[in-house]
Amino acid sequence: MQVEKMGFPTAPLVTIAFKDLAKSNAASRGMPGERICFLPHPMTNKTDEEMYKVLEGNDPVSNKPLMPEIIAALTQPLTAEEKKTGTTSPDIGPPTYTGTQDELQRLYCDNNLTDFMPIILPTEEKVEAMLKGTSHKPDEVIGKLSAAAGAQLSWSFTVRHVAINAVMAGASPEHLPVILAISATGQPSLFSSTSSFTRMVMLNGPISDQIKMNYGIGAMGPFAEPNAVIGRAWTILSKNLGGCGVAGLTYLGTLGSNFNYNNLCIAETENKLPDGWKPFHVQKGFKPDDSVVSIFSGWSLNNVAWFPNMPYHELIKNWLTHFFSFGTTAATLLLDPTIAREAKEKGFNSKEELSDYWSKESKTPAWLYWDTHQKELKQAQAGVEPYASYLKAGDSDIPFQRFYRRSRFGGPPDPNPKSSIEVIVLGGETNTYWAGGDFSYVTSQSIDKWR
Amino acid sequence: MQELVRRPWYHRRTENSGATKNGEFAKMKINRRKILSLLGVSPAILAGSPAIAEPKKQPAKAGEAKITTVNPKGIPPPIQLIPMAPRLDTLDGKTIYLVSDGFAGADRFLNQIAIWFQKNMPSVKTIYRLKAGSYFDDDPKLMAEIKANGNAMIMAYGH
Repeated sequence: MQVEKMGFPTAPLVTIAFKDLAKSNAASRGMPGERICFLPHPMTNKTDEEMYKVLEGNDPVSNKPLMPEIIAALTQPLTAEEKKTGTTSPDIGPPTYTGTQDELQRLYCDNNLTDFMPIILPTEEKVEAMLKGTSHKPDEVIGKLSAAAGAQLSWSFTVRHVAINAVMAGASPEHLPVILAISATGQPSLFSSTSSFTRMVMLNGPISDQIKMNYGIGAMGPFAEPNAVIGRAWTILSKNLGGCGVAGLTYLGTLGSNFNYNNLCIAETENKLPDGWKPFHVQKGFKPDDSVVSIFSGWSLNNVAWFPNMPYHELIKNWLTHFFSFGTTAATLLLDPTIAREAKEKGFNSKEELSDYWSKESKTPAWLYWDTHQKELKQAQAGVEPYASYLKAGDSDIPFQRFYRRSRFGGPPDPNPKSSIEVIVLGGETNTYWAGGDFSYVTSQSIDKWR
Repeated sequence: MQELVRRPWYHRRTENSGATKNGEFAKMKINRRKILSLLGVSPAILAGSPAIAEPKKQPAKAGEAKITTVNPKGIPPPIQLIPMAPRLDTLDGKTIYLVSDGFAGADRFLNQIAIWFQKNMPSVKTIYRLKAGSYFDDDPKLMAEIKANGNAMIMAYGH
């Protein structure tokens, strides 16, 4: 589109799986008539010969020969519609809806305004009651939200918009400051990526007890109202305030994630932290008495119920070496307080000491190392050390530390590397279990600011 | 003979409630709760779930009464329509930039387009470039190059 703006004709080629996305994106960026030519999907695994056959075949959308269509896209004179200028506004529907409760439940569901479970219908009275949960004015603009900043449209929203969505999720006014803080991070729960991102939201500070978040038995499960409705509110508001979650247009996760229903809404078990271990928000620069919400992004979580003969910190180190998913360079460990206490007894006086140990001592499986280090593989085959020794070691783990912050996997190491492993303590101490996943820390936001 | 039918708990409860007279069931329930409380046991635990132990009264059904609710949508940005660039009369003798935005396979596919032009329209000059940054980042250096040397662009998203 940039090239079209400069005055040069363009023929964008898109695979058919992204037909709706490409057309919608062109329209939302002001060029609804962009002459997109479509290819079969997928293209990545085709040989050169197969790709050439694609060129000699038809556009799977128009059913016209592809190369003549590409040439026509660059040479056929513009229509009046394609020359149009001016401004348009996306249609978001009327300001209010009227109907019976059943009719309205159906309307909100059919219009993709919900998470497809029944909602609390947002009447004016309920929204007014919700707004009593904050001192902020209803028309205060909070910020912007997008399914993928830069690639998708960024919507604006106010305190009142968030309150409406909080009502729909079943939240109470006392939950509103938390939901406002989540929205103020500008992070959507439903990110558009094909990789089916999921998010995690964690509360720290006095707010957890004030609103009775569950951080004991079943801390990650459906066992308390605030955990349930706050997590749910994030998904509903992401849809309605950021245009997220429209499958095929603003959401492309091929498998999707069930976590997106609640976004792993948790609170850290601060009262069971071992001596010297700081609550997560204090690690990020807040004061212990601050109420804070923190956002994490990842894909998967491994809940490990295993009684090792080795200490747990060693077991987790080995798990980190062999854990594999889309995100192989960051991890978040969720430790039951019993595991945290054992780590303290083994000499880890802070979360930071533990995560540094794990980053330093964990390795990389040989297959993963070579798959992501093709340049080093060639060097190894040419006898260059230390890669040649790695290769000789066969399937042994490679002493390459994955869990440090880098610009991208396999990139040059930071001169002052910081561990990319986060440690959270939560759970009800009913057993020595823990969970780990590829979640990385994104940001934190004050809840007190939104009271 | 009475037919035995397994029915949901809420139906059974309604029937039980209806069978008691003058609040006898309620009185009995209160006594049971008191006894359990004295024993330090939550009645909810013995009942299996708090919902069963203490059913909340359901509000009267609204029937066909209509209510008005508010639209939960935020504010999408206005869209400025951008006119497309004038098209070329012909591609003969023109320079077309073949630009990959980095998706796997786009480079190889664009190479096949270059081969197609060599075979079928040899007067067309093609130049391949990989756009810098991620797929939604601008590449001002490349844009300037196309402006200086090109006539049109074919861009491939791969996948």
